[in-house]
Amino acid sequence: MNCLDFRRQLNIDPLCEAAEFLRHRQQCTRCAEALERANAFEGTLRKALDVVPVSPRLADSILLAHATRQQRQRQTVRRGVLLAAAAALVLAFSVGVGFGVGTRKPPKTLQTLVVDHLDKEAFVLAMTQPIADDDVRKAFAKSGIALDHVPAGVSFVFCCPFAKYHSVHMVMPESIGPVTVLYLTEDAVAQRESFAERGWQGRSVPLTHGTLVLLARDSSHFDQVEKAWREALEPTPGVAQARI
Amino acid sequence: MSSKQRQFDALVRSLSGDLFRYGYWLCGDEALAHDLVQETFLRAWRALDHLRDTTAAKAWLITILRREHARLYERKVPQFADVDEIDIADERDALTPEFAGEESVIRNAIRGLAAKYREPLLLQVLGGFSCDEIARELNITPAAVMTQVFRARQKLKVLLTGGEQEAKLHELP
Repeated sequence: MNCLDFRRQLNIDPLCEAAEFLRHRQQCTRCAEALERANAFEGTLRKALDVVPVSPRLADSILLAHATRQQRQRQTVRRGVLLAAAAALVLAFSVGVGFGVGTRKPPKTLQTLVVDHLDKEAFVLAMTQPIADDDVRKAFAKSGIALDHVPAGVSFVFCCPFAKYHSVHMVMPESIGPVTVLYLTEDAVAQRESFAERGWQGRSVPLTHGTLVLLARDSSHFDQVEKAWREALEPTPGVAQARI
Repeated sequence: MSSKQRQFDALVRSLSGDLFRYGYWLCGDEALAHDLVQETFLRAWRALDHLRDTTAAKAWLITILRREHARLYERKVPQFADVDEIDIADERDALTPEFAGEESVIRNAIRGLAAKYREPLLLQVLGGFSCDEIARELNITPAAVMTQVFRARQKLKVLLTGGEQEAKLHELP
């Protein structure tokens, strides 16, 4: 490094600690003196820049601004979460209501309910041995109904509640196949009606205070079965039906 | 108080003064400098987890401050004029004893320096950056930084020496 390079470096960075810069300072008295003057100028420059008055409350005001912003962000987040939750609730409710309205199924008819019940208890159709008349009477007696007599050929009886109905569920094996007989003890349909549902032939008949429902693959014996139960359930002309 | 909050508090208390001075010389306005420093620290908080080397915190904060100032500059151009074209008398310098003398002349001269000279000089003197670091910060070559800080000092010395020739500034015969 020569004197010109050294003096140039003084204007670039007088605090330079490069080896050749320091070496030249050792070797050249005039340059060493120039370095001292440059350092003095640097000190003046530094003081001139440092003299800017800094408020003693600067740090506190920054920390306060920071704390305020943090708090505001937390509030915003909390408000956002609440709004999101409320929106989700409204959305869920709207979807639920819409879904409910859009997909609500029509109420099942009596025929459908009867066939549903029969499907669940299809195994009883295989029972062919006649049961005691007393068992049939007892089943009706649970609903407060006294039979005039028990039609012949009942192979199964049980008190079955299904949907909103109380029923006495029976099976009567016939030559054309088993006939299911359901007597709904408390609900009388408005009128006699025949129907077909999922391969079953059916008939519903208002009878005294309830409804007689017949189901079979073949309906050809329905008339005689209906007649038999009408005679058993309906009182003899001039005699009121016995209610226990 | 979390460790992040403690670190933040320590940074604010130890470096806000230096940043304020740097911000002041960058924008030339105390209130604006205060806002710049505050915004710098608020931005720094969000990225504090990424600060691995705490000894580099000052350089990191100065970088953030410069970006904040640049954003400000995009919206409003500060009015700096060439030192030769304006009367550099500073009312405050004339009123208080601590602002009088050689330093006062230098301060006014610094205010009058073009940004391309003032900024590297501030980074060097106030920020303590090397020429290579300034070059990276300003995205220019180290040679350009050397030229600019050289010329900045030349201009300031010319003012102090009453306008002597540049060659004399090398103090060579």
